[in-house]
Formats: sequence, C-alpha cells, structure tokens
Amino acid sequence: MSNISKVPVIKVENINKSFGSIHVLRGVNLEVYPGEAVALVGDNGSGKSTLIKILSGTYGPDKGSIYIHNKQIEHLTPKKALAEGIATVYQDLSLDNYRDVIGNIFLGQEITKWGFFLDYPAMEAIAIDLLKKLKINIPDPRVPVGYLSGGQRQGVAIARAVFQGKEIMIFDEPTAAMGVKETATTLKLIHSLTEQGIAVIIVSHNLFQVFDIAHRVCIMKHGRIVKEIPTGDSSPQEVHQSLIGQTGLEDRMEQIYGI
Amino acid sequence: MGFNKNSVEKYFSQLLLLGILLVLVCFLSWKSPFFLTWKNWRNILDTISVQLLLALGMNFVIATGGIDLSQGSNVCLTGIIMAICLKANFSVWSAIVIGILVAAFLGIFNGLIIEKIKITPFIVTLGTSSLYRGLAIIITGGMPIYSFPTAFTFWGKGESTQLNPPIIIACIVLILAVFLMHKTKWGQYSMAIGGNEEALRRVGVNVGFYKVSYYLASALMAGLAGLIITARLNAAEPTAGMGMELDAVTAVVMGGSLMRGGKANISGTFIACLLLGVIKNGLVILSISSYYQQFIIGFLLLSAVVLAEVRQRGQIRF
Amino acid sequence: MKKRIIALLLVLALVTVSGVGCGQTQSETPGEAPEVESANTEGSVEQKEELQVNPKVKEAEKVLMSQLEPLPELKKDVKIGALVISLTNPFWVGMKEAYEAAAAELGITVEVFAGSTEGDKQAQLDALDAMVVKDYDAIILSPIEPFNLQPGILRANENGIPIINLGPGVDVASLEERGGYLDGRIAVDFVEQGRKVAEDMLKYMKGSKKVAIIQGIIGAGQSEGRTQGAKEVFEATEGVELVSIQPADWDRNKAYSVAQDLIQAHPDLNGIFACNDVMALAAAEALEAEGKLDEVVIYGVDFTEEAREAIKAGRMSGSIAYPCSVYAKAALILAAKVAEGQKVQPVYAPLEVVNVDNVHEFEGWK
Repeated sequence: MSNISKVPVIKVENINKSFGSIHVLRGVNLEVYPGEAVALVGDNGSGKSTLIKILSGTYGPDKGSIYIHNKQIEHLTPKKALAEGIATVYQDLSLDNYRDVIGNIFLGQEITKWGFFLDYPAMEAIAIDLLKKLKINIPDPRVPVGYLSGGQRQGVAIARAVFQGKEIMIFDEPTAAMGVKETATTLKLIHSLTEQGIAVIIVSHNLFQVFDIAHRVCIMKHGRIVKEIPTGDSSPQEVHQSLIGQTGLEDRMEQIYGI
Repeated sequence: MGFNKNSVEKYFSQLLLLGILLVLVCFLSWKSPFFLTWKNWRNILDTISVQLLLALGMNFVIATGGIDLSQGSNVCLTGIIMAICLKANFSVWSAIVIGILVAAFLGIFNGLIIEKIKITPFIVTLGTSSLYRGLAIIITGGMPIYSFPTAFTFWGKGESTQLNPPIIIACIVLILAVFLMHKTKWGQYSMAIGGNEEALRRVGVNVGFYKVSYYLASALMAGLAGLIITARLNAAEPTAGMGMELDAVTAVVMGGSLMRGGKANISGTFIACLLLGVIKNGLVILSISSYYQQFIIGFLLLSAVVLAEVRQRGQIRF
Repeated sequence: MKKRIIALLLVLALVTVSGVGCGQTQSETPGEAPEVESANTEGSVEQKEELQVNPKVKEAEKVLMSQLEPLPELKKDVKIGALVISLTNPFWVGMKEAYEAAAAELGITVEVFAGSTEGDKQAQLDALDAMVVKDYDAIILSPIEPFNLQPGILRANENGIPIINLGPGVDVASLEERGGYLDGRIAVDFVEQGRKVAEDMLKYMKGSKKVAIIQGIIGAGQSEGRTQGAKEVFEATEGVELVSIQPADWDRNKAYSVAQDLIQAHPDLNGIFACNDVMALAAAEALEAEGKLDEVVIYGVDFTEEAREAIKAGRMSGSIAYPCSVYAKAALILAAKVAEGQKVQPVYAPLEVVNVDNVHEFEGWK
C-alpha cells in the first residue's frame, strides 16, 4: 500500500444516471489510486454495471463529473477512455468468436504498415509475448477464439485489456463463469497487475472471492456507494456483517422516509 | 478442443468447390471439344464478371451480418442514368462517372437508413430495392433506352475476342477485394461487425462509418455491373438486373461466407461464381435443357450451407 | 430529352427526401422511345395518324373487324377495364397506349391496370381483384401465365362482369373445372407465330442450316407456343437441324449469355429464333461481339421499335408483327359486344412477318 500516491488516477463525483423513469445511479463518488484494487460489491440492480459502463465511456452520465489524473474529461467515449488508458474486461468478454486470438487482442488497435497494411508478424510477436508474460496458456494464437475453453477466452480478454490499458483496468464479474482453479489463476493475474502500478476496479457480487486481492471494498446499493471499507484492518466476515447491517438499516430508512 | 487446424480444415469449403469444379471441367472437356477452348473460357469469365462483381460487394455487406437486396435495382437504375446521359449527348466518361456517382449515392442512402434509424438491413434494402426499381420504371416509362456510341459499348464487349473490359474490371476488383478483406482494417472490421459488433464499438471503432462504407462498396459494384450490362447489351431497361442480388447472395454463401456474418471468404466466392458459370455454360454446350439448372444450383447451395453449418456447430463454442 | 434530365434531377431530389411522396411524381409520357420525337399537340394527333396509317395496318383492321360482325352499338357510358401484364415491358406499354387511343376513337371509356413486374403473378391477381368490385361493363385481361388470374375470374363471374381474354391464354379446362368461364377470347395464335417465323427464317438461312431457339420463361404460353410452332417447322424440313432449345426468361442479359454459349457449342450455327425481340436483340449483340453477326440469321417476335431499327440496320433478320392499335380496338369492340349480351367466337389477330426485305413497308406500324 506504500506505493499509492496522493493523486487519484480516476475520480468521479456525484454521478447520476437514469434510464427512462428508473434512477439507476444517484450521486456516486469514487476515487481510485495507482496500484490500488477496489472491489465494487452489491446485489443485481445496485448500479455496479452502469457505473463501469460510464467509466468505460459506453454511457454518458446525466449529471456529475469524471476526472482522470485530476483533469476533468467531458463526454467520455469508448475511444477517449482507451486513449486515457482505461481498459475494461466485460462480463461477456466482448470477443469475436470467428477471429483468432491475435485479432481479438488487437481489435481496434491493429498495428499497420504505412497506416494501411495489417502487420501480422508484428502483432503475432507482441501477442505471444503478452500471453507468455500473463501466463495464459494458448499454444496457437492463430486459432479462432470460438475454439477455446472458457478460461482461455477470459485470458484473451484480459490480454487485450492489458494491451489497451496502461492506467486503469476494470473487470466486470471476472470470475462469474469460472471454475475454482481458473478463478484462482485469474485473481492472481489481477493481483499482479496492481503490483505493476495499475489501478484496478473489480465488480463482483461475491465479496469473499475478491476480498483477498482488493485493497478497498465499496458496497453499492440503490445507485449509491453506501460504505467503503479498507480490507487491511478487517476480515471478510466483519465486512459482510456490516454489509448486512447497513442494508438492513437502509431498508428500514426506506420504509420510514420513503427514500 | 480444436487446436492445430490444418489447411485442409481451414480451406474446406474452397477445396470442396474446387473439387466439384474439377470434376465438372473433366467431364465437360470429355463430352465436348469446344469446352476447353480459350474462347469458351473467355465466355464463361465474361458471363460471371457481373455476378462476381456483385458478389464481391455483397460479401463485405454479408460479412457484417447484413444484406443488400437493392443491388439488382441499383444495377438497373445506374444503367438507365448512364443511358439518359448518353442520349443527352454527355461524353462517355461523364455519363459513366455520373452513373457511378448515383450508384454510390444510393448505397450511402441504404447505409445511412440502416445505421441511423437502426432498421434491419433486410427490410431497408428490400424497401430501397423497390424504390430504386420504381424510379427506373418512372424515368423510362417502361421502355428500353438503346443504341449507344461504341466508345461506351466498348466497356461491355471490348473490341476483340481477347480479354475484354468486364473480365479485366472483375479481375482487378477481385484482387482488390482479397487484399482489402484480409490485409486491411477496413476488411477485417466488416467481419468483426458480423462477429461481435458491440465489441468493436467498445474498443472505440466508429462502427456506423464502417457500416455505411460497406453498403457504399456494394453499391459501387452495382454501379460497375450497371455499366457493364448496359454497355454489353447496348440497352438499358427497367427490368435489367432483376434477381441479380440473389445470384450474388448465392455465390457468397456457396463460397463459404456465413450469412449471419463474422466470416467471409473472397476466394470461395470467386470459385462459386466460376462453378455456377461453368454449370450454365456446360448445359448449353451439351444442349441439355436448363430445366436442370435451377435444380443443380439449389442442390449445391443447400449442400454448401448445410455442410458449413454442421461443421461450425461441431467446433465453435459460444 | 430535356424532360428526361428534369426527371433525373427529380429522381435525385426524391431519393434525398427519402422517397416520401414518390407516388406524386409526374411521370413523363410513358412509352416514349428515346429516338422518337415526342407527342404532338392533342388536336393534330388524329389527323396525323389518319395520314400515317400504314396500308398493312388497314388491311389487318379489315380482317379483324370482319370477324367481329355484327358490330355492337357503342354507347358513351360503356366503361371497360383492361388488365395487362406489366408496364415494364415495351410491348405492354404499347398495348396500354393502344387501348387508350382506341377508346378515344370509339368514344368509350377504358381504364388500364397492370401487375408490378412480369414475374409477379400475385400482384396481377390483386389488381384484378380490385377491378372486379368496380363498375366495369366488361374486363379485358392478359394473364402472366394460364392459372394466376383464375380466382379473380371466378369472382368476376359471380359479380356478372364479362371477361375477355386477350393474348396469352387462360387455361380454360381448369377454369371450367372450378366453375368459371370466359365470355370471349381475342388472341394471337402463338403456335402460328412460331411457324411463320420459322418458315421465313428458312428462306434466309444460307449456311449449315443449324438453328437454335431461345425461349422465354418456361411454361409461359407465348414462349411454349412459339417454340412449338417453330420446332414443328424446323423438324419437318429436311436438312435443318435444331441443335438446342434454351430458356432465357425474357431477360436480355441471360439471352446474351445463352447466345454466347450457343455460338461456342455450335460454331457453324446458322439461325437463332428468340421468342421475343428483347432476347433477339441481346443475341445480336452477343454475336456481334463474336464477329459472327453476318453468319447467323436472328428472328424475334413482337416487332418493337427497337427491333424495327435493328432489322433496318441488318442486325436482326426479322420479327413477326401484329398491330397493337387494331388489336386493342378489336378487343374493346369485342368487350362491348359481350357487355350487350352477345355471344362471341374467338377472334384471331392477323400476323405479318417482317424481314429485311419488307421492313420498309411497315413504316408507321402501330
């Protein structure tokens, strides 16, 4: 934790978002520092997914501001987010099953000769190197990803995000479709990213899984971050307890005050 | 797990079509002394040039998971506009350029409706197909426009029995299409849109721009086809090009491209066109009634699609 | 020509505004062939036509009218509906004009409808269905194929509207099986057309006497009839070899390819009979590209404006004509007769073979 600097890589203030009459986010504030892993935990419908879609530029917020390195960013688009070094590993992995591993890693960021020719040898070299560094076991990167196993596909998605994301990486339910062994490998991989100084945001509905690698857990409910707990000085059980207590209180307040 | 796909596996549909083509060529050259002559092959290439051009354009559109049903009508309208320009004593070059520009415009129109209003390509191009055909009928009043300067008809026939402009145009476009599809971002994105459009949007690619560009490409091919058939037949008429879009789809799908997009196969499309051309030519050469033609083409198309689908299901996980 | 440019600009403007309101477009005179100077002012039309009427047309009119005796009394309020095949085919565009001109001459009313394209059988039936609920005294129809209009004819029978079948025939046997009937028939004998063309072709073929036939859509009455007639003559004549019969679906581009392939398979081909002029013209283009136009005698059917020019220029050898103007007039008179309740016999239009030697006699042929 010593390498966490005072300037947040990304900071959002008072983010609001509605879809029609449904108010999904109601004033979210969040700061993430370099080398820090933050877990966003909450039930389905608590607004986690919408929040990360705003961070990755897929949706624009109705209200609120986004700062990257203390610089306010207007109209964040997927392109801008990538340019700022924010990469996302989506829950659906966002892979093109007919495309080979190399093509998927470089999707949208292809290396070209003279700005026109696709430079396959260069891309292949980088891809093989990247997969080796991330310890992702894919023997032939020219195989369409549709042929790969779930863990390998996850690996491709992460490799792409690592290639894209120099500053911040967002993981949406990274272990949702995984077995125990694959989960452990993926979490280890994410942990190694924070050691390289990359800021990581992990969205999960499973607190116990992400507790070990997160430096901080943010509990989301009804479109707000209702509690932030540093993991260093508490146990998952304690956080879980307080999560239940907190939500219990919330529910009662809702009944009483109608918020 | 399907590792180490060897080349046979990868190029299965092309090899299969090539095999059928080879058998057919052997059979026909055994049956008729005229089949293997250069003049006959020039005929076959001349006949397929139009279908090949349209199929190449269609391939990029189908790669995105779309379809361009307005190609045939676009061929017709482009030809008619060139014909009108020629009759109004425009120079041959300006008539051709105006025609191709109109074709491009029709393609962009298709693309913009599909992209901006988010209606499925099938419905949009079905509608514009009727719209463009209707315009052709209105402009001509149902009558053909015919008899053009030789500088124009040259584009359909050439001056000798050697390689003629349609074949040369089709060859150039074929090489260009292979290069664009497999060696450039532009071609790769057509397949990526069909494979996972959302993924492409998420990595910051302007998907809308690319989509419109593929419909533009398809329309430009229709423009070239319009030029060729109008010049070749020395006439433009409101029924020209009818059903050509479906012939193009047939060649694309038979060639191993997936109808739902994601995977396109230019060389397969070319071989499919060649095969269809040889079948049609062979039936006339052998004086067999083309009652059988429809049946054979249908059979080949269905076999190709069923085979591709079965193989796909066995191997790709989703 | 200016009109066309304006129409073109109009089209572009239309496309830009996403085609809304394209139904309102003022189309220009339908059927105006590009070379022909367009219409004169209303008043002078009749006079001019009077002067220009070809003696052969007058002759044909006489033959037709004699079949129609006794002529009916034509009242002003007689209203006839006519259903043609499609307005994308020059022949039927010509028929539409001929109907309208003949009705004006006879002082009765005619309204002409069509299917959307030559292949759209359902659209043509839909048009007929709309017609049988209107107040026509009789309907003249020309079906795309023998069966597609039968349901509509049954409804017309129920509504008591007499039906005249012009040109391509309705299949009477199956119609009667379904309880329907036709009130009259005016036709061109397609088999006779094929026979006459074939006989004339034989006079002009000097070489190998190998001939081929290019058909229209398989199953279409015109196509099958003409093929049958020509085939009979070719097969009955010694020394003539019919080497191939290939369909090209009335499509110019397909006919071009078929002709290309035919000349490859039979380099000494001496004659091509195409079942309509459009396909014959395409064959001429293909043979010209092969440099074999001089060796092959090409005949078509219909004698369209385009074919007339090609025959004059020696690119086509001949065609077979029947005058639309008289044909349409006779059909209207026949319709008026059945509307009066008269029983009528089938009427056949006289046929004239046109070839390079007599084409000059067909000036002003309509």
